[in-house]
Amino acid sequence: MNPPGASATLVAHLIVLSMISFGGIPSMLPDLHDYLVTGKGWITDQDFANCFAVVQAIPGPNMILMMSFVGWKIGGLPVAIASAFATFAPPCAIAYVVFRWWERFHDASWQGPVRRGLAPVTIGLVIAGGYVMARASDVGWASVAMTVAAAALLLLTRVNPLWMLGVGAALGGFGLL
Amino acid sequence: MADSLDVGEPAARVTLPALFVTFLTISMCGFGGPIVWARRFLVERRGWLDDQAFAEMLSLCQFLPGPNVVCITVCVGSKFRGPAGALTAAAGFILIPWTVGFALGSLFLHYTEIALMQNMMRGVSAVGAGLIIATGIRLLRPHRSRKAALLFAGAAFVGLAFASLPLLPLVLILVPLSIAGAYFERPIAG
Repeated sequence: MNPPGASATLVAHLIVLSMISFGGIPSMLPDLHDYLVTGKGWITDQDFANCFAVVQAIPGPNMILMMSFVGWKIGGLPVAIASAFATFAPPCAIAYVVFRWWERFHDASWQGPVRRGLAPVTIGLVIAGGYVMARASDVGWASVAMTVAAAALLLLTRVNPLWMLGVGAALGGFGLL
Repeated sequence: MADSLDVGEPAARVTLPALFVTFLTISMCGFGGPIVWARRFLVERRGWLDDQAFAEMLSLCQFLPGPNVVCITVCVGSKFRGPAGALTAAAGFILIPWTVGFALGSLFLHYTEIALMQNMMRGVSAVGAGLIIATGIRLLRPHRSRKAALLFAGAAFVGLAFASLPLLPLVLILVPLSIAGAYFERPIAG
């Protein structure tokens, strides 16, 4: 069993991490892993990896859910809920304040170049994220073909992406990828 | 369908219930990259933002801590309906989807070793990757006539995908250069 203070310590650590998780929650994972698995030993390596894998396969706010499952393993349902709040509440507050400020200066002359300059870098990173994901799930020509087909269908047709994901799950499930 | 009612200025039709339902839907669809679904609903289905406004909001959110789509949720809610909108949109994104996801996930956690699950997840991620790439290409369209934009989007892509540079230094180098590029280019229409 984990020590009595474990739950509170976990939640406090999540609050700090979520406030510095620039680039999204995945940037919290290496630190959290070191802290919980290697440092404190409150959760096993396998449990941590399973929490990550499972949230990829379910809908909903995955990374908030992942932190909830980590909290669940350490202190049960109350800690799961507290971990969820620790993960999204501080970033939400920061987003609100910064966005109000950003909108207030919407017409300022410095914001045009900043907005036009930020967007392309962001977009390049999004496409790179998709490419890295494709490479991670690439086990041969069939999965590459799935990735290309999904991209083409989304660009050229109005097919609902849920169908594509369903077909992907089915083909994967039948062992065709 | 509710979509056909979406006429007129966004500010008038983005009601609190619409915010709640839209972000609930985005969250529940959120397999394979929530950005895909956020763009699909906010830009294509509801027309609350155009591609350019969406990309700008996304890039602001990538510079803030926390889950990017949760940040977009707060920004869109706040933009159209102030503090109440931000709270409503965030509640829509999190409350029900968290509950459903937690129930499903705790079930799945018992079956992570099963090969069928792993194969299905592989299929979902292959498709999900394609959807993310296509969404990025869509977002790039409003910038396609700008050489500097294509250059820096390409540099960010190559730096992350092929050179595997760490994110923070990559961004710290490319963003100032890209902003300088945008500052010195001739103003574009719109």
